[in-house]
Amino acid sequence: MNYIYGTYKNLEYQSAESRISVRVFIFLILLVWTAGIFIEFIIPKVHSLVYSLPFLKNMYASVCHQQNAKLIELWGHQTMVCARCTGIYTGGLASAFMLLFLYPKGILDVKFLLLAAIPMVVDVALYTAGIYNYSIYPAYLTGFLLGSVGILYIHEAVIKLIDEQKTKKEEN
Amino acid sequence: MKKYLPALVAGFGAGVLNVVPLAKSIGCCVIIPVAAYIALVLDRRANPSDEPIETGKAISMGIMTGLFAAVFGTFFDVLITLITKSNDLVASFPEMQKMIVDMPLAEELRNKVIEMLGYVVEQIRETGFSILYTFSILVNNLIVDIIFGLIGGLIGGKIINSKLQKS
Repeated sequence: MNYIYGTYKNLEYQSAESRISVRVFIFLILLVWTAGIFIEFIIPKVHSLVYSLPFLKNMYASVCHQQNAKLIELWGHQTMVCARCTGIYTGGLASAFMLLFLYPKGILDVKFLLLAAIPMVVDVALYTAGIYNYSIYPAYLTGFLLGSVGILYIHEAVIKLIDEQKTKKEEN
Repeated sequence: MKKYLPALVAGFGAGVLNVVPLAKSIGCCVIIPVAAYIALVLDRRANPSDEPIETGKAISMGIMTGLFAAVFGTFFDVLITLITKSNDLVASFPEMQKMIVDMPLAEELRNKVIEMLGYVVEQIRETGFSILYTFSILVNNLIVDIIFGLIGGLIGGKIINSKLQKS
């Protein structure tokens, strides 16, 4: 068992540093997804994008409740998803951007992901229990934390996938 | 097909939950990733092994879960729309109309978009079915559910392997 994990470990980090294309790809996907969240802000600049509004509204509705009181409102425009989801995706985007320049060394332990989720779970539990009222600031920040940590795991898993495929190809 | 039975079961559950308003509101974006994780756990129960789950397998299970969730979710959405002659689009139409009217756009463009939306809403109100709406939610569900299923597979595989490593 240790040998298998050890093999993954070595393969992963030998190749990871040279995998800039994977990081660029993840960043671009997240950039497009996050841009969609701010489509209301973009439409006044690119008018024809208004055709995509109903489709995007419906698309983000499948990943977020979109309750009006929980959306971020700036300059008369609202985000397509709630403050928490906006936090998750912008956190992921910020982390993906950082990954273009920096790379964490060592295997990511799953407990860091769970730790990053705790503030969000606590925030949801406390306002649901009525201990305090919903506020977009803690919602956004706790989401941002989870999103920025979560993307590291996705990146690691994608690298691992590529390495597995490479190993299989070499074995064949 | 048999190897994707866990994905079918979990995807069906996620598809159902995706059209239940309360579950949708609470579950938010975690329904599909959790379903992908459940599919991996079910697969492990069906095929017990001490070997870690390969990332490729975790991803394919996640994608299949997302695919099944999208198909079932779309089916139930269309079915409920057919019966009730209403859905989220119909309910949010006045709000959407106001949003478009408030935007600094050319009058002609604004009217075109509202007219297009109004046509779909009218079709749903009258017959309970719109091909444009059905096609758009199918495409939308396929994109979103497959991406979120993939993410659930990636992270779910990591969690299962981590538990396996510790035990």
